[in-house]
Amino acid sequence: MLVPIFTLKLNHKITPRTVSLGKFDGIHPSLACGTIGGKVLIHSPHLKTTRQQTDGFGRTPEVSDISLLNINQQVISLATGRLDPEVPCDSLLVGTATNLMAYDVDNNTDLFYKEVPDGANAIVVGKLGGIETPMAIVGGNCSIQGFNRKGEEAFWTVTGDNICSLELVNFSGGGQNELVVGSEDFDIRVFREDEIIAEMTETEAITSLCRMHDTHFGYALANGTVGVYDRTTRYWRIKSKNHAVTIMGYDLDNDGVEELITGWSNGKIDARSDRTGEVIFKDNFSQTVAGIVKGDYQMSSSSTQEQLICVSVDGEVRGYNPAQAGVTGNLMDTNVEQDTIRELSQRKQNLLLELKNYEENAKAGMAPELASGLSSSVIAASGATGGGARGATTLSASSSVIGVGGRPGVSSGGDSSTGDAGSIRSTETVTSYKVGGAIGEYEKAAMGMIPANTQLQTTLSVNSGDGTKPPRVELSISTTNDTIIRAVLIFAEGIFDGESHVVHPSPSALSGSLKVAIIPPKDIPVDLHIKALVGHKSSTQFHVFELTRQLPRFSMYSLCQEVPEPRSSVTMQLNERVQRVFMWLNQSFLLHDDLTVDTEVKVCFMSLRGSGPLIIRMDQMGQFTIRTDDMDLAGDVIQSLAQFMNLDDLLTTADFPMEIETLKQILVKVDEFHRVRQKLTAEMADHSNLIRSMVVRAEDARLMGDMRNMRKRYVELFDLNRDLINGYTIRCNNHQELLACLKLVNQTIQRAGRLRVGHYKTLVINACRGAIKSNNTSSLFKIIQTGQA
Amino acid sequence: MMELNLTRVDYLQAGTTSPRTMCLLPISGKLQRVAVADNDGLLQVFSIKKGEVQNVFKTTLHQKVTRLCLGGQPGAQRDRIFLSVGSEVKGFSRKGKNFLSFTTNMTEPIQSMYVEGPDLFACGKFVYNHYRDCKDTNYMLCGDKINDVLCLPTHMVQEVTPVLACQDRVLRILQESELLYEVEVPGPPMCLHLSDNSGGENGNEVLYGTSDGRVGLVQIGKLAPLHKWELPNEKRSGGVLCMDNYDITSDGVQDLILGRDDGQVEIYSFDEADEPVLRFSHTCSESVNSVQGGVVSTAGYDEIVCSTYAGWVYGLTSEQQMKQMGPTEVAVDAVAVAKITNLKTELDSLQQKVTTERESTSSQLSLAQQYLPFPCSTSMTSNSNRANTFCGFQSDVPVDLLDVEKNSAVISYSACKPEEGNFLLATYRCQASTTRLELKIRSIEGQYGTLQVYITPRLQPKTCQLRCYPIKPLSLHQRTHVFDENRPMNTLKLSGQFSLAEMHAWVNFSLPEVPERPPAGDITSFQFVSTFLGTQLDCTYRFVFSPGKGRLCLGSDNISTIAILKDVLSKEATNKKIRLDISYDIKEESIPHTLNLLHPRLEYQLLLAKKVQLIDALKELQVSEGDLSFMSPEYQQIVENADSLQAEFKRQPCHLERLYGMITDLFIDKFKFKGQNVRSKVPALMELLDHYDYNTLAQFFENAS
Repeated sequence: MLVPIFTLKLNHKITPRTVSLGKFDGIHPSLACGTIGGKVLIHSPHLKTTRQQTDGFGRTPEVSDISLLNINQQVISLATGRLDPEVPCDSLLVGTATNLMAYDVDNNTDLFYKEVPDGANAIVVGKLGGIETPMAIVGGNCSIQGFNRKGEEAFWTVTGDNICSLELVNFSGGGQNELVVGSEDFDIRVFREDEIIAEMTETEAITSLCRMHDTHFGYALANGTVGVYDRTTRYWRIKSKNHAVTIMGYDLDNDGVEELITGWSNGKIDARSDRTGEVIFKDNFSQTVAGIVKGDYQMSSSSTQEQLICVSVDGEVRGYNPAQAGVTGNLMDTNVEQDTIRELSQRKQNLLLELKNYEENAKAGMAPELASGLSSSVIAASGATGGGARGATTLSASSSVIGVGGRPGVSSGGDSSTGDAGSIRSTETVTSYKVGGAIGEYEKAAMGMIPANTQLQTTLSVNSGDGTKPPRVELSISTTNDTIIRAVLIFAEGIFDGESHVVHPSPSALSGSLKVAIIPPKDIPVDLHIKALVGHKSSTQFHVFELTRQLPRFSMYSLCQEVPEPRSSVTMQLNERVQRVFMWLNQSFLLHDDLTVDTEVKVCFMSLRGSGPLIIRMDQMGQFTIRTDDMDLAGDVIQSLAQFMNLDDLLTTADFPMEIETLKQILVKVDEFHRVRQKLTAEMADHSNLIRSMVVRAEDARLMGDMRNMRKRYVELFDLNRDLINGYTIRCNNHQELLACLKLVNQTIQRAGRLRVGHYKTLVINACRGAIKSNNTSSLFKIIQTGQA
Repeated sequence: MMELNLTRVDYLQAGTTSPRTMCLLPISGKLQRVAVADNDGLLQVFSIKKGEVQNVFKTTLHQKVTRLCLGGQPGAQRDRIFLSVGSEVKGFSRKGKNFLSFTTNMTEPIQSMYVEGPDLFACGKFVYNHYRDCKDTNYMLCGDKINDVLCLPTHMVQEVTPVLACQDRVLRILQESELLYEVEVPGPPMCLHLSDNSGGENGNEVLYGTSDGRVGLVQIGKLAPLHKWELPNEKRSGGVLCMDNYDITSDGVQDLILGRDDGQVEIYSFDEADEPVLRFSHTCSESVNSVQGGVVSTAGYDEIVCSTYAGWVYGLTSEQQMKQMGPTEVAVDAVAVAKITNLKTELDSLQQKVTTERESTSSQLSLAQQYLPFPCSTSMTSNSNRANTFCGFQSDVPVDLLDVEKNSAVISYSACKPEEGNFLLATYRCQASTTRLELKIRSIEGQYGTLQVYITPRLQPKTCQLRCYPIKPLSLHQRTHVFDENRPMNTLKLSGQFSLAEMHAWVNFSLPEVPERPPAGDITSFQFVSTFLGTQLDCTYRFVFSPGKGRLCLGSDNISTIAILKDVLSKEATNKKIRLDISYDIKEESIPHTLNLLHPRLEYQLLLAKKVQLIDALKELQVSEGDLSFMSPEYQQIVENADSLQAEFKRQPCHLERLYGMITDLFIDKFKFKGQNVRSKVPALMELLDHYDYNTLAQFFENAS
């Protein structure tokens, strides 16, 4: 078992996710943490000399190994790393809501101080792709910026939503770093310089990412999930009711492979094997874990190993050495043998009980078998029929590891749209179970016995809704006889508030059929793991029918014959057979019957989310047109189509007059906000000069004993102060609106990118950025339309 | 004090067990044998030889064994095994000879049993029976459920003195068929044990453990009891299911061993003042149904043998299982390895059997398939011996589900519509090995209904069991036997054409801890106290024969309690189409009285909230100034006690809101009885509460009409 090799108390409150370790003088490691009240704490146990001078940063001259830097703004993100390849010292980077500061701790100087209006939600330092110099990459409001050591912008790109986490990972295994970005729209995107090379959809905002060995990386979500990816394949994930605050790759058991170390909100720390997610070590703090870093903090001459250092929010620091080489197995305190015995015995008991079940059945079945003369030929399949098997492997898998993938290519999570095309038809799937029998009626009901030929039928259909009910996807579940459905539990990710949805009709409304309204908020394919409790009205035992249905990606669109023609459209040349397009349509949309293959494609849909009609056309020449006013939807359709057809590059022409119009207005607004801001800043500077003189005059009056004048001055000062505060709130509001507008601009660029595939996408984004920088709006609109500058 | 270091060693797994169905037989040779009986009716007696289980004998009794206890000659060794099976009592010698099969004259299964020499005490739910040499000698019908029975050792106390632990928070001391006296205890007692296994010096000291986790020692005198000590339950651990005395610390004093329903095993030793001190605690994932100290696996090493709900029998032994190997400890235990291989082969063959069985059942046509109800015991905690995959919760009352820290299940709430009768819909997805799920709920008095739990075990074929828990209108009341007559009492009188049974059903419907059937007699009276406020309630009802009328009289010093009861009872009566004559008598002075009871709690909570708010700011000051001496002592104290203040605040979330809610209810109810609707004045009241002051509040209650 493993015990901490050192523990110490910093006696400061540490802000979660702002812990980093750096060698600021190039030799001695120091711990940098953000604390409450806009300060950065530097703990350098190897530099006990005190600096007597208080400098611009208000370094407190204490005789201790802790120094504090005043930032005077809330520290949102913090990172350390070498920005200058020639100097072997780490720099400290501090991100706040509006600024990024690079600071040389050793020399006590600023390297640069940049305004980042998009905010700095996450910072990572290092080399990206083929870019020569290391950069500090900052993720904010939809945009990613990279700064070199002089503070010059060396890299810029946009992504779909606010960025929560960044990490540099050797994703493609080519030795160069790719940038992995987690954002609030549940997507993990991978950038090779500014080209997106992979995109994975998760089920919540991605709060942390961490690099592990090779092409592996770990991730953590806001809903308490942590997991490991190898490139685009998810190895495993687990979900806890607590939240993962911070994750780190570290080889704790010394087997050459890094484990995923997770710090949880309840103070737990665990290390999980990167292949299976099995816990190999855990420890507990009394408070939430604030950060986990690695580094040689002890600096003992004997070992050159890095320690695992964990910091909790109340400032407790613990360091762990990796296990001794040669020690295999579990690092936990518990007795492995005893645990195994316990687990095996439990399994034995379960099997014995199941056997007993069968025996009892055989006994009970003998007598009434002939009398009742039931001759149902339905085959029992104890929960493993059809889709049921898939349900069992994902959400209810043993040891609660969800979806142990292993097979490359097909992940068992939400994005297996390339899987079996036939199984997601919206026609009726019949899952058959053989259950029940004929003993006394009453007893039967109480024991939850249901007739042997009970079947459960499920149908997915699109319902356009009426005055009282919103439009929705309707899942109808019904039994084939007089049994009732007591309740339905649906486990699915990303479409409900939590991970599950329960339908529990009131006792008077119990019947053999049930309709569940599902309103997926996004166009993503979802596996619905349905568990229906079937029995009789008075029973206390129910049979559980388990089955899995897949909701296709575009389920919130109903097929129509005639729809008004939308004004906007995207056109492209598609060199594919029409049959393939029909296949894609049948697979991606929720249709009552399959579309029959024709020489031309012309289908009309109506969006149930109120974003208007959608028309997809393709003529014999391969001219493919998507007509919709929703740019997001057009992007989704193109990306889904490209994925299905395995297209690497696709150039399209887009015509979105309405979007362009809005963009124009937004850009005008942005200009306005910028002007207002400058004006306000100038005003503020004026005021502060005035204040200075007023204070001097008031104090003069006080010294002279001229109380009347003094009071007058202070009253004036008070008024001025009030004005300043008013001005400040105006500035804040202005800033908020500016941020919102900038986000819209970034999102429009992102959407324009999503209308293209492959390197055309990168091209669009880069060209748009260029146009915005040079303030050339007309070229911006042209780029959005044609995809080329 | 020497630190206790005990390691868990698993012996075997029996079927699901009932509380107190495992005992250690007296020492023979070097080691003791273990006798365990389970709900499948299997009695096993085994010993441990070199870590391996050696069966002495096994017998099948075909029915659930509810209790296992040992008997023998008075004062001599207890070496005979007695089992209660249904309404029968079976006796086995230590060698496995069935020397007794006694069918009692009881019409219900025996719930608890005790054997003392030739005397056998068997209790059903409400009935107590005493048999001497298998002849019915004494009988008593008890007012509430009997949880446990015990008899003081007859070789020390001359007369036969049985003690009954009853659900209504009393121990009843009997003399032949009569009640000698009652001893009130702080909670519903679940188990009894003779102190030091022999009843102390005079053989009249009895330990009791309650379902709310408390333990106490009472000396049963000839005429009156004497409370020696009581152990409060500050950590809010689970209820005590079993106890034993054993000197595991080897200091010459018998230690107290407790087994709780939340899976904790605790060892208390006694200090110089004979007060219990916690020395050791072990937590497993299932209820601990029996504990006993002894020497079982290795001579010379004391251990505590426990059996759990799911049938695990394990020892907490003082023998070190770990061997030192360099800097890291590695358990290399040949025995354990052998055990594992054995189990694995066993599993393989079983797995094969199950697979063939599965196939054969699925190929047979029209086979009636019936699922055995999987054992599942619940007391607001769901406790199943199968690992759960998920649980669904549904409630038709607004309640809050409070998660318990040690649960690992992932909870997910789903949106629900009150008009469909759902106020709460939630699922708990459990980890692979979860067999016990504990959660707490917070209810509001006056809102009642049922909480339904659907439990699905990880077992093929998948079934689901429904459990219902009534949430009573006055859920925060508990039974008491102390009633203060001097408080101002508001009374509610109901009369009409209804029987005693109906009235009892109403009381049972509205209040917890009321026995299912009405106690004998024409007049019945129950007293309750509010656990939150300390206000009291008296329910008295009688049946008058001459006009054939029932009279129900309810008195409480809290108007809200009366108002809730009035609403509930009139609704119930309307449902059953019974005419009710309601009259009430409201005492004005009860309002200031109730406010007085609220006052200290409210003030304390307000102060606490204020202090907690200040902590962060003060800490910030402390960091920047480095020295706190300039601060007022009040603030310094806050900083010093910051952790405990925060912990306390966290422990009772929404406490203040609930107090506010009670005051508002009180306000509305007061005027409702006067026939006025004062809902419009509630905002004014809330404003007043924001700047709480007792006098203005009392004034407001006085004047707002």
